[in-house]
Amino acid sequence: MKMNKRLPVVFVAILLMGLVFAPLAPAATPVKIGFVYIMSGPFSAYGQFAKKGAELAVAEINAAGGINGHPVEAYFEDSTGKPDVAIRAFRKLVFQEKVNYLIGLDSSGVAKTVVPSIPQMKTPLIITHAATPDVTGSVCNRYVFRISVNLAQNVKAASLLAAETGATTWTTVGPDYAFGHQSWEYFEKYLKAIKPGMTFLPKDEVAFPPFKTTDFSPYINKVMQSKADGVLVSLWGGNLIDFVRQGKEMGLFNGKKQILITLGAAVEVLGALKDKMPEGLWVGTRYWFLANDSARNTAFVKAYHDRYGEYPSYNAHGAYGAVYTYKAAAEKAGSIDKEKIIDALEGLTVELPVGKITIRPEDHQALTDACWGKTAADPAYPIRVLKPIKIFKAADVTPSVTDAGCKK
Amino acid sequence: MESFIINLLNGLSWGMLLFLISVGLTTVFGVLGVLNFAHGSFFMLGAYLCMQVMHIVPSFWVGLLVGPLVVALLAALVEKQLLRRVYGRDIAFQLLLTFAILLVLDDGVRIIWGPGYHVVEPPAVLAGVFSLFDNTYPIYRLFLVFAGPVIGLMLWAFFRFSRWGKRIRAAAMDPEMAEGIGIRVPLLFTAVFALGCWLAGMGGALAAPHQSLAPAMGERIIIESFIVVVAGGMGSFPGAFIGALALGLFESFGTVFLGRVQMAIPYIVLAAVLLIRPRGLFGQED
Repeated sequence: MKMNKRLPVVFVAILLMGLVFAPLAPAATPVKIGFVYIMSGPFSAYGQFAKKGAELAVAEINAAGGINGHPVEAYFEDSTGKPDVAIRAFRKLVFQEKVNYLIGLDSSGVAKTVVPSIPQMKTPLIITHAATPDVTGSVCNRYVFRISVNLAQNVKAASLLAAETGATTWTTVGPDYAFGHQSWEYFEKYLKAIKPGMTFLPKDEVAFPPFKTTDFSPYINKVMQSKADGVLVSLWGGNLIDFVRQGKEMGLFNGKKQILITLGAAVEVLGALKDKMPEGLWVGTRYWFLANDSARNTAFVKAYHDRYGEYPSYNAHGAYGAVYTYKAAAEKAGSIDKEKIIDALEGLTVELPVGKITIRPEDHQALTDACWGKTAADPAYPIRVLKPIKIFKAADVTPSVTDAGCKK
Repeated sequence: MESFIINLLNGLSWGMLLFLISVGLTTVFGVLGVLNFAHGSFFMLGAYLCMQVMHIVPSFWVGLLVGPLVVALLAALVEKQLLRRVYGRDIAFQLLLTFAILLVLDDGVRIIWGPGYHVVEPPAVLAGVFSLFDNTYPIYRLFLVFAGPVIGLMLWAFFRFSRWGKRIRAAAMDPEMAEGIGIRVPLLFTAVFALGCWLAGMGGALAAPHQSLAPAMGERIIIESFIVVVAGGMGSFPGAFIGALALGLFESFGTVFLGRVQMAIPYIVLAAVLLIRPRGLFGQED
């Protein structure tokens, strides 16, 4: 009896499903790209930026005929900033959604754990944010690439700047996890080589506030009391915003100490701080929307601003650039096959808004210029901009293949 | 000396903020018997609503007044519609429900105000710095050092002397008996939950000029509040005060004198307190 009552419902359901799904049958097989970023929690701004950049790239590419004639489809997953969740997200994208390529990853900690399991999925991944040198170094593999400036490149540029500031004793304020500690370690290593005779405060005298810190005053106090006359700041996001506001109140930026902020030119930070960002600080970033006036960059900044009403952050640029990198690789390979794409990515040179980048075949790190600048007010922009802008050529800041330590 | 005073002020101002938040948490637990996981989310909501009010009326004081009040109204609604259903049930139901409220509020904030960072300016009178020996110190932080005890004293007087305060204490001690002598316990519970969340919202609004606003900002503070409340004794007013001050001072002095070990100290102290006094410093033995 029960069966009979349910049967018509099932029929109707099947019919409806047919109606819903029939018009979706695509003309050409789509190229599916899966994105994994932090979409929830305190760092969801980064995932949101990446999504905006990615959607802009996909819309542009589809309007211009797709990748080798295949329309592009984007799938977004939330890493929540946790390695196990990120791995599950990648698995879902590869095995369930059957994506062709992967793009993603904000956190270095997540990246380092996730990267070794990517080869099992036999799908290429382009990293666009996570900066740990390890993913194109100690844990590198055939399937993982990075097109963004990594920690080593950014900090090498910082140490080149530091050598010219006149400061001789250095300390650091950085987040208390791999990123903060590695930034300091690399800075010390590079600066010692560039300019011997520099002093670096020992580990117990530098400041590594835990990630959850909102009150940086004890750390600021510690730095101000120390004998250092130069400070490398590797805090980012909300931590950096709090640090800058509280440091400004306490007089940290009064010119007594040279201060280099490795990720201070991030638009989410500048946008929140607006005129509260002190002028004349050296700040670095992975992409600065005013760093070059190539046609490629101008078009990107305009398209992004028209679509979202804001200037592209480095994370938006990263995801946007990664989609175009896959497009260039597919054109070079003349195929959308995963393995052929990987072969094409190795040694690929592609022009992105940030400039021409070349993916090193040995370790899969992109040779890309590092950007730093001094914060300055400009009436044409609601946020602090960089004046002057200093571009460090990729060749000058990228560690050699041997130093990168990648053994594929 | 100079460094000592700066660290002292740092510790006190952070401790006072923690106290406001913890005292709300501990009051709700003491009276309702509910461990409110979403307490940090009400803290976050206080900060965002203060900012929102300031967009309409550009005055921090109006934001500070209205923001937490809106939080309290929302909390009253949450108590009446949701929390009321889980009193007297297994503790797991309360935890699940308040955790669900946390998730909803966190995502709600993200949908309404976006995932990005926001900053709130301190009011002009408190925006500057004053000189302290060779250094400068922000006036706003000094304001926090005084705001905490003032609100705390008012609360204490309210519980101790006012008719409502006495009723609340009676209901906390024995709800059935209180109901028997004509106290409207359900209404009282709604009021207490709203009060607890008002305190969290107040903490958020006061923290707003001092830290950046981002979704899930409450998740960071809830851990510290739990440490304070558990170490001080669940439901204890002086416990929350001493616990919050101690934690604030441990953090500011520990950072300077102990380096990384400082991170472990709150947990070690918590463990030590629980070993010696399992119900916390000021906890009542059953």
